[in-house]
Amino acid sequence: MSTAEDLLHTGRPPASWIAMRGAGALEQLRHQGFPHRRFEDWKYSDLREALSAARGAAAGPQIGNPFVVLGCPSLELIDGGLAASTVQLPAGIELVDLSSSTPPPRWVERLLGTLLHDGLSGAALALMAGGVALRVPSGIVAEEPIGLFFRSYNSHHARVLLVVEEGAELTLLEHHAHHSRLANIGFEIFLEKGATLRHVRLAQGADDAALVQTLGLSQAEGSRYQAHFADLGARLSRLEMHLSLDGVATQTEMRGLQVLARGRHSDVTTRLSHRAERTASAQVFKQVLGAKARAAYQGRITVTKGADGTDSRQSAKAVLLDPSAEADLKPELLIFADDVQCAHGAAIGDLDADALFYLRSRGLDERQARSLLLRAFLEDVIATIGSEAVKSCLLSAVDDVLADIGVAG
Amino acid sequence: MLDIKDLHVAVEGKEILKGLSLHVGEGEVHAIMGPNGSGKSTLSYVLAGRDGYDITSGSIIYKGEDLTAMPPEARAARGVFLALQYPVEIPGVTTVNFLKAALNAQRRARSESELDAMAVLRLVRDKARSLNISEDMLRRALNVGFSGGEKKRLEVLQMALFEPSLAILDETDSGLDIDALKLVAEGVNHLRAPSRSMLVITHYQRLLTYIVPDRVHVLARGRIVAEGGKELALELEAKGYGHIVKDAA
Repeated sequence: MSTAEDLLHTGRPPASWIAMRGAGALEQLRHQGFPHRRFEDWKYSDLREALSAARGAAAGPQIGNPFVVLGCPSLELIDGGLAASTVQLPAGIELVDLSSSTPPPRWVERLLGTLLHDGLSGAALALMAGGVALRVPSGIVAEEPIGLFFRSYNSHHARVLLVVEEGAELTLLEHHAHHSRLANIGFEIFLEKGATLRHVRLAQGADDAALVQTLGLSQAEGSRYQAHFADLGARLSRLEMHLSLDGVATQTEMRGLQVLARGRHSDVTTRLSHRAERTASAQVFKQVLGAKARAAYQGRITVTKGADGTDSRQSAKAVLLDPSAEADLKPELLIFADDVQCAHGAAIGDLDADALFYLRSRGLDERQARSLLLRAFLEDVIATIGSEAVKSCLLSAVDDVLADIGVAG
Repeated sequence: MLDIKDLHVAVEGKEILKGLSLHVGEGEVHAIMGPNGSGKSTLSYVLAGRDGYDITSGSIIYKGEDLTAMPPEARAARGVFLALQYPVEIPGVTTVNFLKAALNAQRRARSESELDAMAVLRLVRDKARSLNISEDMLRRALNVGFSGGEKKRLEVLQMALFEPSLAILDETDSGLDIDALKLVAEGVNHLRAPSRSMLVITHYQRLLTYIVPDRVHVLARGRIVAEGGKELALELEAKGYGHIVKDAA
C-alpha cells in the first residue's frame, strides 16, 4: 500500500499558472507532512494517522445523493474531475472547468488561490485533478438552486471558486459522497457588495474514507451568507472555514449538524473574523454521537479593532448517546473592538431525563422518546432552511444515521 | 382498581414511603393531603414508574396486575395517567405532534388502529376549546413559554385525550389563581366516570372544594396517618396538619 506521503505527489498536473500558485504551500506541506494531533488546530483530527490507516473503499456500498431528486441543474465532480455532462445552468451564470487547458477568464486568474494560504489548500491547487469556477454576474438572482456534487472512489485534490457579484443571489446545494482514502478540497467564495449566498452542504463518507475541505469566504459590504451544514462523518471528516467579514453591515449565519454513527468522526473548525462595523454573525452547531463516535467543533471568532457594532453569537451542543462517544467543543472569542455584543455557549450531555420520563409516561417507549427528543434537538438547526424540499432531503439522510444509531422511531 | 399494600420506597438510598397502604375503587376520587416532605410526589412518581424510585418492599396492584413490573409506557397504555406538578418543557416538539405521537403509541400498544393527523387534530380541538387552550398553544413547542395555568390546563387536555382509568393529579393546584383553578377543576370534574378513578394529591383544601373527593387520606412521614370523608379536608384547613400528625405518631 502506498504511504500517505504519496498523496502529496499524485494528481494530474494542472495548468502551470495554477500549479505555481500552490507550489509554495505544497512545498511547506511536503516538508511538514500531513497535520496530526500535535498541531493545535488538528488536535481532534489526526489526519496523518487517519491516512496511514485508511484503505479507502472504492468497492463497497455506494453512498447515495438525496439532492438528486430535486432535479436542479448540477455540476458533478467525480474524483475531482468535472463529469462531462450537459448542464443547463440558469441564464447568465458562468462556469469554468479548472482542468481545461484554455486560458481562464480574468476573474479566475485574479481570484483563484488568493483566499486560502494553508498547506492543504495549496496542495489542492498544485495537485488538483480538476475543479470548477462559478460566477453569478451582478444583479442575477438564480431562481433555482445549483447542485455541486462531489463523488470519489480514488484519492484526489480539487478546487472550487465561487464568485457572487454585486446584488446577485444564489442557492448552492453541495453534496459529498466519498469512498476514497483522501479527498482534499479547497473552496473559495467571494461575495461582493449586497450579494446573497444560501449554502446547504451535506457530507457523507465511507467508514474508511477521509474528507478534508478548507473553505474560505470573503464578504463585501451588505452581503449575506446563510449556511446549513450536515456532516454525517467518515473515518475523518473535516470542514475548516476561514470567514472574513470585510465589508460593513454583512450578515453571516451558519447552522450545522454533526450526526455520527459507530466510530465516525467529524470536525468543524471555523475561524471567523469581524473586520468592519455593524457586522453580525451567528453559529449554531449541534452534535449527536453514537458509540465510539468523535465530534469536534472549534469556533474562533475575532473582532478586530474598529469593528464596532459587531454582534456575534455562537452556540455548540452535543448529545452523547453512548459513554464511549467523545465530543470536544471549543468556542473562542478574541475581541479587540470596544462596542460589541458577543455571546457564546457550549453544552454536552445526554438527553434530558425529565423530558424522557415525561414522554414515556405518556406512552412512548424509550426508543420513540429518544428519537422525538433528538429530532427536537436538531430542529432549530434545520428549521431555517427556506425550502421544504431541501430540508426533507437533508432529514432523510440524517434519519438514516439516527436509525443506524438505533434511535429512529 | 388500585391496591397499594405496605409500600416502602427509597430515593437515593433514603426511605421516603414507609409502609403506605391505599385502596382505590373504580370510579372513586381520593384525595391525598399532607405536609411538605411527606412523600406525596414520591407516591405519584412511583405509580408512574419513574427511574430512581426504588421499591424496597410492598406491592402495587392495578386492575389485578403487578404495576411495578411495567415500564412507564406500558402503564400509560393500560390507563395510568400522571398530571405532573411541573410539566416538562420540550422545545422543538409541537404540542399537537406530541399529542398525536403519544395517543398513537398508546393505541398501538393496545392493538388499536392509529389515528391520522386530521383525526387527532379534530379530537384535540374539540377538547381544547372547553379548557381555553388556543390553536396557537397547540402549534407551539410543548409547554415552552406557557404560564403555570396553561401548563396545568394542557395536562388536563391530555387526560381528556388519553381517557385514563387511573388519573393521578400531583398538586395540580400549585401556582394557580382562583380562576385558573376553577377552569382546571371543571375540566377534571368533566372527566369523572364510573370507570375512572382519581388520586388528587394536594397540600391545600382549596382544590377539594371544586373537585370533591369521596375519601381523604393524610400522608405524613411516608405513610397514611388518617383517613376520612371530605370533611377531613375542611378540618385540616381549620386546624392544620400539626395535630393530626401528632395524634398519629
